[in-house]
Amino acid sequence: MIRLTIDDREITVPEGTMIVDAAAQLGIDVPIYCYHQALGPLGACRICLVQVEKMPKLVTGCTTAVQEGMVVHTRGAAVDKGRKGVLEFLLINHPLDCPVCDKGGECFLQDYTFQYGAPAGRYDEPKIHKLKDAPINDFIIIDQERCVLCQRCVRFMGEYVGEEQLLLEGRGVDTVVATVSHQPMDSQFSGNVIDLCPVGALLSIPYRYKARPWNLEREESVCPHCPVGCTTSVTSREGHVIRVEGRPVAGRNWGWLCDRGRFGYDFGYVEKRLLNALVEGREMSAAESTRTVGRWLDAALTDRGPESVAFLVGGQQTMEEAYQVARFSQEVLPGSRTAMVRTVEGYLPSGLNGSFQDIERADVVVYIGGDPYDAVPVVHLKVRERQRANPGLKVMGVGAYELTRDFHGAKNFTVKPQHQAAFLAYALAQAGTKSQAVEHLASQLGTYVPSLLNPVTPEEIQALGRTLLESEHLVLLWDGKEPEMESVLLALRAAREDATEVLPTFGPSNWRGWERAGIPAHFASLQTIIDDAAQGKISVLFVVGADLLRDYPDREQARRALERVDHVVQVGLFLPEEVQLYHAVVPGAGWSEVYGTYTNMEGRMQVAMATVQPPGQARPLRTYLNSWAHALKKSFVLESEWDPFDDDSGDFVPRESLPELRPVTVPEPSPGTPPGSLRVVGFSLVMEGGMPSEILAPRVPRFPGRISPQDAARLGFSEQGGELQLEGTMGKISVMVAPDRRIPDGILALPYGIHGSPLNQLGEGASVKAVRLEEVSLG
Amino acid sequence: MSQGPYLLRNQVIADIDQIDVYEANQGYQPLRKALKEYDPKALVEMVKASGLRGRGGAGFPTGMKWSFLPNDGRPRYLVVNSDEAEPGTFKDRELIEKNPHQLIEGMIISSYATGAREAYVYCRGEFLYGAAQLKRAVAEAYQHGYLGENILDSGFSLDIKVYRGAGAYICGEESALLESLEGKRGNPRLKPPFPAVAGLYGMPTVVNNVETICNLPPLVENGPEWYRTMGTEKSPGLKVMSVSGHVNRPGNYEIPLSTPLRSLIEDYAGGIKGGRQVKAIIPGGSSVPVLTADKLDTPVDYEAILAAGSMLGSGGCIVIDDQTCMVAVSARLVRFYREESCGKCTPCREGTFWMTDVLERMEAGAGNPRDLDLIRDMADNIAGKCFCPLGDASLGVVVSAMKYFEDEFEAHVTEHSCPMGARLYDTVNH
Ligand SMILES: Cc1cc2nc3c(=O)[nH]c(=O)nc-3n(C[C@H](O)[C@H](O)[C@H](O)COP(=O)(O)O)c2cc1C
Ligand code: SF4
Ligand code: SF4
Ligand code: SF4
Ligand code: FES
Repeated sequence: MIRLTIDDREITVPEGTMIVDAAAQLGIDVPIYCYHQALGPLGACRICLVQVEKMPKLVTGCTTAVQEGMVVHTRGAAVDKGRKGVLEFLLINHPLDCPVCDKGGECFLQDYTFQYGAPAGRYDEPKIHKLKDAPINDFIIIDQERCVLCQRCVRFMGEYVGEEQLLLEGRGVDTVVATVSHQPMDSQFSGNVIDLCPVGALLSIPYRYKARPWNLEREESVCPHCPVGCTTSVTSREGHVIRVEGRPVAGRNWGWLCDRGRFGYDFGYVEKRLLNALVEGREMSAAESTRTVGRWLDAALTDRGPESVAFLVGGQQTMEEAYQVARFSQEVLPGSRTAMVRTVEGYLPSGLNGSFQDIERADVVVYIGGDPYDAVPVVHLKVRERQRANPGLKVMGVGAYELTRDFHGAKNFTVKPQHQAAFLAYALAQAGTKSQAVEHLASQLGTYVPSLLNPVTPEEIQALGRTLLESEHLVLLWDGKEPEMESVLLALRAAREDATEVLPTFGPSNWRGWERAGIPAHFASLQTIIDDAAQGKISVLFVVGADLLRDYPDREQARRALERVDHVVQVGLFLPEEVQLYHAVVPGAGWSEVYGTYTNMEGRMQVAMATVQPPGQARPLRTYLNSWAHALKKSFVLESEWDPFDDDSGDFVPRESLPELRPVTVPEPSPGTPPGSLRVVGFSLVMEGGMPSEILAPRVPRFPGRISPQDAARLGFSEQGGELQLEGTMGKISVMVAPDRRIPDGILALPYGIHGSPLNQLGEGASVKAVRLEEVSLG
Repeated sequence: MSQGPYLLRNQVIADIDQIDVYEANQGYQPLRKALKEYDPKALVEMVKASGLRGRGGAGFPTGMKWSFLPNDGRPRYLVVNSDEAEPGTFKDRELIEKNPHQLIEGMIISSYATGAREAYVYCRGEFLYGAAQLKRAVAEAYQHGYLGENILDSGFSLDIKVYRGAGAYICGEESALLESLEGKRGNPRLKPPFPAVAGLYGMPTVVNNVETICNLPPLVENGPEWYRTMGTEKSPGLKVMSVSGHVNRPGNYEIPLSTPLRSLIEDYAGGIKGGRQVKAIIPGGSSVPVLTADKLDTPVDYEAILAAGSMLGSGGCIVIDDQTCMVAVSARLVRFYREESCGKCTPCREGTFWMTDVLERMEAGAGNPRDLDLIRDMADNIAGKCFCPLGDASLGVVVSAMKYFEDEFEAHVTEHSCPMGARLYDTVNH
């Protein structure tokens, strides 16, 4: 620890702390442009000048590390003149068009000029002109004249994200920020540069000219689109959400968002948004619909009893809403059942659930099943940040295709779908541990020998097992696809002494929160309800927030279920797929319209404030529950708001003790995929699944499916890809695919929830006949 | 002991750029001696004992720089700075064009001393001929067994690569040079870490100037005591001075350090053209303050020139006669820095731009009295506030010229014309 004095106040900070950060701890604000703690010092802008006693010149507070006994002055005549000089220089070529700049009022150039700048300019020479209002992709424009060349944007994309898409072009006063080869930026992290830009040089296109800071309301919120639960602040104006920004939380996150979270906020206003109730094909008011639904419920209760009623929770519902459903089911309809709508079948016991802090400490990170980049984008950045801090970090992938991306020295084990749990169990067994849990696991493997899709030696498998057992701080990111993995993870935890933490990358985003609210999370609960429904045992089925046909892994079975239920009632934001199967669809309120708590993949509970009113007839869930209870002449009084937070576990949901190991099924030695066929592997893609967004439309991949370059060539596709016709036992669909070098031959990776070509029509792991569509139409 | 010149033997031996001529004139003998008679440590000690200082501008003791390399088993690199783009400095150009083997021999000895197995020459982009000469000479050195595996059966191996820059003065600054050599944009890096600790590709790296390294063969041949027979205690040895401007014989001259400026100008460079008088001297390249004629008896060594109010820098001595307009000189030189500013930091990027405009406006007769204070204030806002020394370098001439020749600057803004009736281009002999 280092002791120093800043502006006559003493402070002790860790070695290596920069003066600006030490000052910040004292609440002393040293102006900065180019410095950002996540990016490290650069020393470019020179606005952070401070005076250090015994140093001959002013120094930049962002590049100067504290020293024992240092005496720093952050103000004073020399310092202020230095800053004034820097600001004057920054303004000589600035267009001074603040009145038409979206950043006006939230701009550090304005703020510091107000604080330190000269009242009048001395610059009489002609200004340099550069590009203004030039789009760098569908979401962002650059105004090079307003740029202060702090390089935050360039460094963030290149050094931090590792997707070098911005650079400095030209030299000296002609230097500009530009995109590489003048191509649009396509990184899914592009929007962060808007937050990072200290001035109005990088601006959001959807937010353009929408408001002035004084028109705005800003509320703290949480991104609902994936299980990361990034912290956001939501800007609204006159009842409309018009912007989402990252919200840094000191010591926890930098406020990065992916573009899904940043720009996908318009789902409340898209054309598909449900504004009225639709009961048996007839539009009606929400209030009127509750009487009809009440009658159905009443009839079901009288005729078949509460066991014939079930509730399914999905989508973006808050914990409070899930709690209301659970209470309603217990108190108003005791005997009725609840479950949550799941897309994958795995479950993670909360006792295994790690936190993002584990990534910050990890020496080994293993991706199982899916690539976090696709499913939980900001986690990709967290792992990258860990590798920046600890270049020795090992990143490994175990999945049906190559999962790691752009990580130094990453190792991939490409394992057939449905074989991954067995493979990991095998790798652990090979490592020669005395652990009972692992031995127990191994005893179930019989003569199982893995066959991998990429060249891997037996020694490498053994080494994987050893790394898993011997690493100091192991973090596993699991996609939840293979339910047997739970036992492997439990055995691994039992076999290890050091930290073994799992982060579930699967959705729905808030599943852990609903579990805490009392909705069963195991897939089996859902499956039983669906199967009962398909057998005609359910009279009224409530689907809250989810789109069952899109989300349930077996689309046919879900359809059968909906067909056999007497009355299916959907509460949601949008019309569900195949709406004719629903008897009532009533408009619900969603994220940003209701206050609520979300639990992310760490099991961390975070509150999202309501910012705007629900549109049209849309009502919060509890309004419906109350009036349905009323229609049944039952009372349903939700006393004061439920507080999901726990006294002992703070922000985290309480961790339960670990369950018993369950057996691992040894996979059938699956027959090779027949020629002309591909094996289907699902993955979560935040850009694809979930809520509709018109803003994001240009970013939704045109070719969501991925096949190996060899298969693409064999099928006659160009490098860009094309349309593939697939035929499985469950039906025929067509899907746009593109070659991807990370996919092995014989595999087709398809994101869940693609509209119009649903993977759940083919089935996870199914072998499907694949032909290029053009050939079909020609033939 | 051999007779001088030592570094500029090309001026007396024809075709010494050819390897056979170089060898016939004791070429590569010092290398044999170094490999046979010295171990690396002893060589570093020898360089320390000689007092050799870096000739790239800062004059940092070379032996000391070499001993900063951490002993941690990581690979090390030697990088020779041949980016020479400082106006008024053209010594390295002659050294590589006319006697490339001398540099290569110096590099092999230096690499042996510092433990580098790979060495680079970063050659100024415009030095097409120099780079070609070096490449040819490197190939010859490989053929003759001076480079590659197991050089002269010593067990020491070295590869040399010649790299051409893309035309940026800032890439002469060692950390920008390393960025550029790594294929990145040539912006200076934050220091620390210094190149000795984290240089090329993050590895321990020695960056030395061409002339610095060219001192190695004669040093090994003649010993540190010989080196110390010239110059002063703190500035011993030889220096190649590039003399330009209004002199009769502009060119490179090898002098023992502490030779008086007057002697350099009159005896070596043939005195001022047309019998005019010296008005000002820029003794160390365009980045250093001017000296006035009354400082002509200053000895040319680091300390004496510093005491006189300037710096020896890279040894580019620009002589300015009494018919030259100092506003024009300042405008021309500040424009150079404006063009060459890398753009990374605000004061240099914007300050050199603004100052150029004001000076050029003054020179064109459109100045006004406020401009003088404006320039002084701008200079104060640049001085000591830039990321790398280039920003300060841009001020050397203009600030000193305004101090010594204030009346000339004032005349420009009050009379709106040049009291010298001169413009720079009229008086420079192309
Ligand atoms: C703007 C700038 C330009 C420079 N240009 C050169 C150059 O062209 N050649 C050179 O040897 N050193 C140049 N230097 C100095 C180098 O940074 C470095 O100090 C030198 O190469 C070290 O070699 P030496 O110790 O042998 O002098 C420059 C420095 C600055 C700040
Ligand atoms: S565009 Fe913004 S973030 Fe990027 S360099 Fe310019 S001022 Fe900095
Ligand atoms: S990573 Fe997930 S939570 Fe974060 S912004 Fe993207 S979609 Fe939202
Ligand atoms: S002083 Fe700043 S702008 Fe100028 S060359 Fe150095 S780093 Fe670049
Ligand atoms: S914030 Fe310190 S130099 Fe930019």
